[in-house]
Amino acid sequence: MGGAVTAAPPMALLAELTYRCPLRCGYCANPTDWRGYGRELDGDAWRRVVREAGALGVLHLHLSGGEPLLRDDLEDIAREGRDAGLYVNVITSGFGATRARVEALAAAGVDHVQVSLQDADGERGDRVAGVRAHDHKLVVARMVRDAGMELSINVVLHRGNLARTGEIIALAASLGAQRLELANTQYHGSALANRADLLPARAQLDAAFAVARAAQRDLAGRMDVIYVVPDWFADAPRPCMDGWGRRFMTVIPDGTALPCPGAHGLPGFAFDNVRDRSLDDIWYRGADFERYRGTAWMAEPCASCERREVDYGGCRCQAFALTGDAAATDPACAKSPHHKLIRDEREGPRGEPAVLYRIDTTRARR
Amino acid sequence: MVPSLARRARVRWDAARDCHVLLYPEGVLVLTPEAAEVIERIDGARSVEAIVDALAGEHPEAPRDVIDGDVRELLERLAARGFVRWEAP
Ligand code: SF4
Ligand code: SF4
Repeated sequence: MGGAVTAAPPMALLAELTYRCPLRCGYCANPTDWRGYGRELDGDAWRRVVREAGALGVLHLHLSGGEPLLRDDLEDIAREGRDAGLYVNVITSGFGATRARVEALAAAGVDHVQVSLQDADGERGDRVAGVRAHDHKLVVARMVRDAGMELSINVVLHRGNLARTGEIIALAASLGAQRLELANTQYHGSALANRADLLPARAQLDAAFAVARAAQRDLAGRMDVIYVVPDWFADAPRPCMDGWGRRFMTVIPDGTALPCPGAHGLPGFAFDNVRDRSLDDIWYRGADFERYRGTAWMAEPCASCERREVDYGGCRCQAFALTGDAAATDPACAKSPHHKLIRDEREGPRGEPAVLYRIDTTRARR
Repeated sequence: MVPSLARRARVRWDAARDCHVLLYPEGVLVLTPEAAEVIERIDGARSVEAIVDALAGEHPEAPRDVIDGDVRELLERLAARGFVRWEAP
């Protein structure tokens, strides 16, 4: 791999501070062998990474997980980001947050907090999370607003909650959220394994989309409603991460630096670790960041497709998970020779979804 | 009317890209040098007229009414996206 492509600096760093999480959502995209990852980076290392990100040209810092509140140095890492000029976002389940903690985040310079909800119906939401969390999440969301930070509500949509898209929108608006992110499940990690109980029927999706569209109009200027179209139903791939190594960088809990949060599952990669190399060095000279950068690596049908700089051939992780070849065209694309895999799954029978939890295959890996 | 920058928006110099940027949740607005000149003068105390006066003083080559129109248009666009708030003095 040579430096044939001149990369622009990254816009955003996703810092997954821990894979630990008190919730057990069945659609979790984290690796299913999350317990088997190495030692978490300590606070000093994270603060160094954040400083390097600022110097590299990163503008947005996303502090996520797992559940980032489980790290008691979250505030220190956030403050370092703010001092480096970054816009600091915290992505949390809200579980275990106290008013003092929320105020400490605000004092540390956190700009924006994204609180996840599982459902508008608290009982069903708690069943998905595997713990009693819903009512407290609503309290935490209001604390975020009281502390003067921006509030987003994030909801992963699937067969079990799509019918309540309207109620979810109303709930987010009543909490004073400025943004609502309705993201249809992406089938990675536990979600891929649990897909039989997460996949919606097309009629359900169409109805939810219509509700979201109407809300986008009605709430314009009050709350931004973002609706992430499900690639499995669109016959077109998502422009995964806006292109490999193009705008985003992820560092996972053990310090491995990735072009996308799912890429650790790809075979034949030896991703660099921030313990050994600087962020700058990894971004511009890491062989694995170069591998699928731009379009030169593509085979047909992507290589000659006019959409190759629109979607960059889709998701590498999904291509690998479904075809065994990380360089293949994403099967979500109708032009992929493997598209039938997705067509068959999405048109399969739909029963009442079971409640499934985040999967732990750690032991199997050892 | 007095414009002020909403808390959700943060404006800074981006040395890596050689421009001013406005940062907001999940987004970045790349500012032209002209837009940055206007935004830098928003302090929650200066009125639109005062901002236009300051810019007109520094750009004697540009007619004041053109500057006035540009500044108001920019502020309205930023207000529509929730980046600028209007307050009565
Ligand atoms: S063929 Fe490749 S580039 Fe073209 S739309 Fe499909 S995934 Fe995108
Ligand atoms: S490569 Fe795949 S898993 Fe990774 S971010 Fe992209 S879409 Fe997701």
